[in-house]
Amino acid sequence: MKKQNYKALLLVLIAALTLEATSFTQYFFSQNVIKEEASLRAEGQLEVARNRILDVTNQTEAAVRNSMWIAQWCLNVPDSLVRVCERIVQDNPVVVGSTVALVPGYLKDKPLLAPYVCRNEDGSLRRLSLATEQYDYPNQEWFTKPIELDGGYWSEPYVDEGGGEIVMITYSVPIRDENGKVAAVLTSDISLDWLTEMTSSFKVYPQAAGIILSRSGRIMVSPSPEVIMKNIHDFHTVLKDNEGFDDLNKAMMAGESGNMTVKYQGVACYVYYSPIKHTGWAMAIVIPESDVFEALRQNGIAVKLLQLLGLAMLAFMLVSFIRNQLKYHELEQTRNRIENELQIARAIQMSMVPKVFPPYPNRDDVDVFGQLTPAKEVGGDLFDFYIRDEKLFFCIGDVSGKGIPASLYMVVTKALFRTVSAHEAQPNRILTRLNDVMSQENESNMFVTMFVGVLDLISGRMQYCNAGHDAPLLIGNTGAGMLPVDPNLPIGVMPNWKFTRQETQIDPDTVIFLYTDGLNEAENINHEQFEMQRVIDMARKLQQERKFKPTVIVEQMTNAVRSFVADAEQSDDLTMLAIQYTKHQEDLTYQRSLTLTNDLKRIPRLNTFVEEACEANGFDMAVTTQINLAMEEAVVNVMNYAYPKDSTGNITIEAKADKSTLSFVISDTGTPFDPTAKPEVDITLSAEDRSIGGLGIHLIRQIMDHINYERVDGHNVLTLIKKLA
Amino acid sequence: MEIKINTQDSLTTAQLIGRLDTPASQEVSGDFDNLAQYAAGTIVLDCTELEYISSSGLRLFLSLRKAAASKGGKVIVKAINKDIRSVFMMTGFLNLFEIQD
Repeated sequence: MKKQNYKALLLVLIAALTLEATSFTQYFFSQNVIKEEASLRAEGQLEVARNRILDVTNQTEAAVRNSMWIAQWCLNVPDSLVRVCERIVQDNPVVVGSTVALVPGYLKDKPLLAPYVCRNEDGSLRRLSLATEQYDYPNQEWFTKPIELDGGYWSEPYVDEGGGEIVMITYSVPIRDENGKVAAVLTSDISLDWLTEMTSSFKVYPQAAGIILSRSGRIMVSPSPEVIMKNIHDFHTVLKDNEGFDDLNKAMMAGESGNMTVKYQGVACYVYYSPIKHTGWAMAIVIPESDVFEALRQNGIAVKLLQLLGLAMLAFMLVSFIRNQLKYHELEQTRNRIENELQIARAIQMSMVPKVFPPYPNRDDVDVFGQLTPAKEVGGDLFDFYIRDEKLFFCIGDVSGKGIPASLYMVVTKALFRTVSAHEAQPNRILTRLNDVMSQENESNMFVTMFVGVLDLISGRMQYCNAGHDAPLLIGNTGAGMLPVDPNLPIGVMPNWKFTRQETQIDPDTVIFLYTDGLNEAENINHEQFEMQRVIDMARKLQQERKFKPTVIVEQMTNAVRSFVADAEQSDDLTMLAIQYTKHQEDLTYQRSLTLTNDLKRIPRLNTFVEEACEANGFDMAVTTQINLAMEEAVVNVMNYAYPKDSTGNITIEAKADKSTLSFVISDTGTPFDPTAKPEVDITLSAEDRSIGGLGIHLIRQIMDHINYERVDGHNVLTLIKKLA
Repeated sequence: MEIKINTQDSLTTAQLIGRLDTPASQEVSGDFDNLAQYAAGTIVLDCTELEYISSSGLRLFLSLRKAAASKGGKVIVKAINKDIRSVFMMTGFLNLFEIQD
């Protein structure tokens, strides 16, 4: 498991503990409230029960009392006593039986008389007599106590043996005759069943049960029928798993009201008790704790479930949060990696453009300064330059688009430029070759605008070809302006496009200023462009101030565009390349010329001509021999290839020298042929692998300091230069 | 330009006299074709009296060297002067031939 998951687990745990503590506190306080609630409910119940009992007993007592005077009156007509009983039972539904029991011996003829009326199960009345031999009524409690107390009396509960085996209580009053002598006892029996029914209907809680004790502590109502009529103490003896009933008994018998906890059949219960003063009974309600707290328990379960749900959601959220974090972290890592790679790519790309300036500190004929500023890490601009055969090959280009795709094309274009120009000196042909390669399988439809120039450093002639790029500026002693360019397509657009070549003479001190559209299309925050006019104005200003140094021109142009753009973000790659031609022609110290026909037999004449020139310019024999060889190779080449076989043509060789160089210019009017365009021979190959040809041009390159071919006005012009010793 | 060819058993010696420039190379190309017949053995090109060589002459040398290579023989270049040595150097021929002083 990862570290983050542990953290999540810890968080969930803390949340769980907090929730648990909260719910515990809530539970604790709720418990007290619920207990109070239970107490209130139980007391209310007891009150209702008390009132009900009072109601029933009052009814019973009233029924008896109201009949006392009739009973008294009937003493004179003993046979009608039973009618009194009948009326009581009939008129009072709560009364199940009634008797008028005469004091023994009150009537001379009937020593014992106790007519009894009870209600059958079907509601009809039955007449009985209690004056039987088995039932010694004069000694029954209900008979003796009222006489003894001289008032109404509620009997203890007893089982009615004569009647219907039901538990009942009896209210009895003494009846006196006109003389005030106690003559009889009038009673009404009520069954305890209604008490049981009453308490069982008092469902303050589903399993609440009532207990009612008589004056003497007999159980009249109980949830367990086994202990009916027994003492409350029997809750312990008869039933198992009961606790605390002795205390309850004591409190109830003392006529107290209150509550306590007991265990009834193994279940913890609350008991609320209260006396019923009127009858001397005591009443209690037993409620299982689980009933009291059922709602709380259910509430607790609901809360727990909600908590679990909440915790699960919290855990889920945490996990997804952590996942997101991890994802974000991964993304960040990826981004960092890409950024790193982009930095590397930038370094690679930057290393591909020339960056050592001045590039030719030892040359007095050319000075170059270039600068590439990509808008992003990598860009699609490129520039390049190098000197081969005393020619400065240079190019500037802008790949369509920006960023990585453009940079890939930039790299390819740059590499191709070098490869192709290594043995191709004409800018239009260089661009044709580039176009051929780039327009093949160009599925991404990228294209490159490009300007390629070839400046002959000896003569100052510049050949150039423009493939859809912005026209360079020429800034020189005579003025500043745009170089005229043909409208060629950019490379990569259309295969087989015929690129046109142009040519111009670059005067000494003149600067060729090349740039990409990052300059003239640079935007400020108002999306206004720098525009070509500003570039030209700046060029003219530089021209007037005679500021021709490439570094100065690029620097001032950069400052101008920067102050225009100000705070706006650079939107496109910006590249500038300034090339100054600084050669000044020197006076010739030697000049001879020779014209030969294209006949190999004329070679010895050439040898003499060359040897004379070498001798006149101070070359020793060894170098002279080499120059001779080079010239022979060059001229033989022309003789062999310039003119068709067996046709005669002339070859003119001019030798000229200034203070520093000896030059031979070989010209002919034959078919165009550029010997410098031949690929270099590989002199490291074995004899088997080496080709027979190519040695001549190789020797020329080895011996001479500079070789240059030009096609000028229908002439092949080949120049071989050797620096003076 | 003159070539003297002397064959003894498997050893053929060709004495090169004069300047082997382009015209001369054309002249002696037949002699070199003859020499190629002995390319299975050892051919010594004696350059003691060779003054000068152009690329045409070098081509003749290289053709002979190729013939020897295909027939299992060898070509020894003997006693080249300083100028020719520098040409051999520039063209990589020093590595293609066994050079004897």
